[in-house]
Amino acid sequence: MNWTLLLQLVLNGLIVGALYGVVAMSFVLIYKASQVVNFAQGEFLLIGAWACWWLLTTWQLPFIWGFLLTLVFMTLFGIALERIVLRPLIGEPIVSVIMVTIGLSIVFQALMKWMFGVFAQPFPPIFTTQRINILGLEVQTVYLLSIAISAVILGVFAWFFRATRYGLAMRATAFDQQAAQSLGVPVRQVFAMSWAISAVVSAVAGVVVGVVNGVSSALSFYGIKVFPAVILGGLDSILGAVLGGLIVGVLENTAEFVDSQFLHWGNMYQVAPFYVLILILMIRPYGLFGTKDIERV
Amino acid sequence: MRLVPAVLGAAIAALPAAAQQRIPVGHIADFSGATSDVGVPYGRGVADAMNWINEARKGVLGRQLAFTTYDYGYQAPRAIAHYQALQRERVVAIQGWGTADTEALVTFVTRDRIPYISASYSAALTDPTGKGGPRSEKAAPFNFFYGPSYSDALRAMLQWAADDWKARGQSGQPKYVHMGANHPYPNSPKAAGEERARELGFEVLPAITFALTPGDYTAQCLTLKESGANYAYLGNTAGSNISVLRACQTVGVNVQFLGNVWGMDENAMKAAGTAANGVVFPVRTETIWGESAPGMETMRQISRVSDQTGNAYRPVHYLAGVCAVMLMAEAMETAGANNGAIDGVRIRDGFYARQNWVPKGTEGVCAPSNFTETDHRGQLRVGIYRAEVKGATEAGSVDELMRNGTMAIRRLTVVDLPRRPEWIGW
Amino acid sequence: MTAQTPSGDFRTSYRADTTIFPTAMSRNAAIAGIVLLALTPFVADRYILSLMIQIGILGIAALGLNILVGFTGQISIGHSAFFGFGAFASAYAVEHGVPVPLAIVFAGVVTTAVGMVFGLPAARLKRLYLAIATLAAQFILEDFFARAQWFTGGVAGRVTEPFSLFGWVADRDESYFYVVLAFVIIMYLMAANLMRTRDGRALVAVRDHYLSAEVMGINLTRYRTLSFGISSFYAGIAGALYAHYLLFVSVEAFTIVFSIQFLAMAIIGGLGSVMGSLMGTAFMVLLPEFVQWSVELLRGGVIDRALKLADSLSYLREMVIGAVIVLFLIFEPDGLAHRWKQIKAYWKLYPFSH
Repeated sequence: MNWTLLLQLVLNGLIVGALYGVVAMSFVLIYKASQVVNFAQGEFLLIGAWACWWLLTTWQLPFIWGFLLTLVFMTLFGIALERIVLRPLIGEPIVSVIMVTIGLSIVFQALMKWMFGVFAQPFPPIFTTQRINILGLEVQTVYLLSIAISAVILGVFAWFFRATRYGLAMRATAFDQQAAQSLGVPVRQVFAMSWAISAVVSAVAGVVVGVVNGVSSALSFYGIKVFPAVILGGLDSILGAVLGGLIVGVLENTAEFVDSQFLHWGNMYQVAPFYVLILILMIRPYGLFGTKDIERV
Repeated sequence: MRLVPAVLGAAIAALPAAAQQRIPVGHIADFSGATSDVGVPYGRGVADAMNWINEARKGVLGRQLAFTTYDYGYQAPRAIAHYQALQRERVVAIQGWGTADTEALVTFVTRDRIPYISASYSAALTDPTGKGGPRSEKAAPFNFFYGPSYSDALRAMLQWAADDWKARGQSGQPKYVHMGANHPYPNSPKAAGEERARELGFEVLPAITFALTPGDYTAQCLTLKESGANYAYLGNTAGSNISVLRACQTVGVNVQFLGNVWGMDENAMKAAGTAANGVVFPVRTETIWGESAPGMETMRQISRVSDQTGNAYRPVHYLAGVCAVMLMAEAMETAGANNGAIDGVRIRDGFYARQNWVPKGTEGVCAPSNFTETDHRGQLRVGIYRAEVKGATEAGSVDELMRNGTMAIRRLTVVDLPRRPEWIGW
Repeated sequence: MTAQTPSGDFRTSYRADTTIFPTAMSRNAAIAGIVLLALTPFVADRYILSLMIQIGILGIAALGLNILVGFTGQISIGHSAFFGFGAFASAYAVEHGVPVPLAIVFAGVVTTAVGMVFGLPAARLKRLYLAIATLAAQFILEDFFARAQWFTGGVAGRVTEPFSLFGWVADRDESYFYVVLAFVIIMYLMAANLMRTRDGRALVAVRDHYLSAEVMGINLTRYRTLSFGISSFYAGIAGALYAHYLLFVSVEAFTIVFSIQFLAMAIIGGLGSVMGSLMGTAFMVLLPEFVQWSVELLRGGVIDRALKLADSLSYLREMVIGAVIVLFLIFEPDGLAHRWKQIKAYWKLYPFSH
């Protein structure tokens, strides 16, 4: 048993898992407010990554400004999207709204290829030290950025949902849309806000992935990739999403360890998390941290 | 019912008065789908070459090539629908693209006798009889491609690796590992590569899998590092290979990567930066863009079809696309010589007409091909190149980076594989 | 629907209330439609036929998905894996000497079994948690295809035989069209019939309010698993038809992108509507073709030259496809079947629309 390797893999799983958690969080934000699974989430990542790349290379902005501008842009993008496309659909069957997000993903995918070309592009280096040694594992500095940001986002959300009017409004809407509306909660604003926040959060993840792998349209696959994390954490729990991400990250990495050291079946890295997921859902059908509705007729 | 169009088509084509008629050709490309990063340069090469033949050479034997480029977005059902639309135009040959469309159409083009020149180089397409070798899987008598098959390219790279191991004065048994997704494309040369590696005295390690999409592959790199492999084949397409190269650079893996023909090119080098430095990969042409060769002038003219300034840098895939069209055009000339009909069967036979076949005007660029009725392994001569990336690649275009020497593709050697009968078809 | 039954039509038995065709007219129209379709190979060329064959095959699979999604109210993102399983199962059976028609049925049965295996954990899941079971099915089956060389032919894929029955070989589009047509009719009648049975009503009850259904004695686990099974049966049959159309099955075809397209067909057609599934499929198959034609018209034209579109046309085409889907759903969120009903009602009641 190679303990050093296992330790390094678990550590890597936690680091990458934090990134999955960030993406998962952006799913949950929209789902929580409007019950919509956003199949265009991966494209949100992609748009964020390309926007930041464009600001950094074409306009030669320093990273911090480029990054902040990207977040501003994504806020506007999220609000605009909600206003133009999703608002007319309020009250329509959820499944139609989900299909609309599939249509949107096709549009954005093609639009990004049109605007930025089909070739993968490298990000300019952001930190002077590209990698940091943690317990013997060389880690890209930017991954640590994603951990830091996800921690900040979590903190801000905790405060936002507990202590602010809008946070309370969002929670109320998530709990019961009709009741909230009848009590005067501006449900439309809440929806717009959840799309905007989700777009911003996914842009953060998109930039991190872009810095690590280069930006290319295939980056949007992260959207589907984190789906297990979303479900595992429970669709409506933000903390659950982060924990789900960490669990999936560690699962992937330990699966790779067991596979490469003992089994040699191949591809366990990709499939093993799904087997584990099915097992977990058989025991806890609401995910690990999702709320269990108590239903009365 | 079914005979009528075929007979009619043949009759029309055979009429001498129809000599001025256009030659309908199909072109299926991926400009917007999952493989567009390599599909765009290749597809543009194909389209430019056909347009150039029409303009500069006044077509094939005075007859214009009639084609429209169809972008199928790498979705096989669309390619099938489009194939039937091409049938309506009675095309005599098709320039195709990837595994998805090529394999879906093998039975169709065989039935309808239409030569299909693909950019899928799967060795399974190289056996026209289906029983040429012990491991042949199926017959593909109308499938052709320009370049060595995936399997043969890997066999050649392993040959280079074995020589490299000796040249570096290393002792002991070198270790080889196959890396790629559990998917037909990376798996296609896996068995061939592992068997050849054993023959050449490598120790073959269990394969390492990573998905076809970009992601975090640190786990795979740590495994690779721990396994002590010396040579690793990267079987995926460029997007995920970039992720692996970067992750392995971060964790400090010291291994010689062997790329594959669609897995490494100028754009991938730019995206991966210094992580791509040192990757060895096969190149299908004898020279790359910007080098001098007798045929390079033709390539420049062809390039001007879609770039009037003449300044565009053309990646390796562009040149390969041009060579694929030039082969087809010359096979058509052979078919149409002496007032012969330019139809599918005669074009196929045109592919068999020459030995060490370099289309005229492309000397020194397109590598020589040999096709026979029993063997569609056009090339067993494989050019092995090394990617060199010396510095930061974020600023500047591919053209500038190649020009100022930040990036370079250097030829290492040319491996001549023996035409072993037991290697056909896998 | 009531608006379309003739006045004075008071149904006096359950039997009359549950007929497939509410009026003689609608039955005759359906028969006439089928006869007309049967004549198409004599007038249409291969391109049209090939599109119709694809609509037929994918339409069967989309119907299966619609039974799952529309009648259990869950989204499924793993349908293409079951479709693929059917394709491989049929090719595998043919390889071992089973005649093609039997192999297709075999594929349906085996795929049903596989679907039920994945349906079992799903029986406890509700809402979107079910999606994970289907997503897991997608990835686990895709991995299995690449791994199980004995079953799928591995890297090289599997070549298979054309459909043949008593010496009649359907190896051309003209002849295979009839095979697909026959299967479409059988499978769609079966689905329409399902909704008239006890099991069908139970499925609807589960969809509409599972708690009430359970209280009324409907076994939830049984019907959730059953709907998975039925859905997989349709996918398996369609996959087998696809295999014997292409005569070749490759691991590469059955990706999650394909699954999402099936979902699009079901939703655009209208969830829970039998005929809607076919309409949705036709929409999704023909849309890229239509956009392509428009692009061809545009190419080289004034607009093209003025805006220098040339190379951008592919991306524009994809964007139009996506935008049409979005716009369609904004204006008709209930799907094509709903719109079709409205059009029918409009003509029926014209000029007194109220």
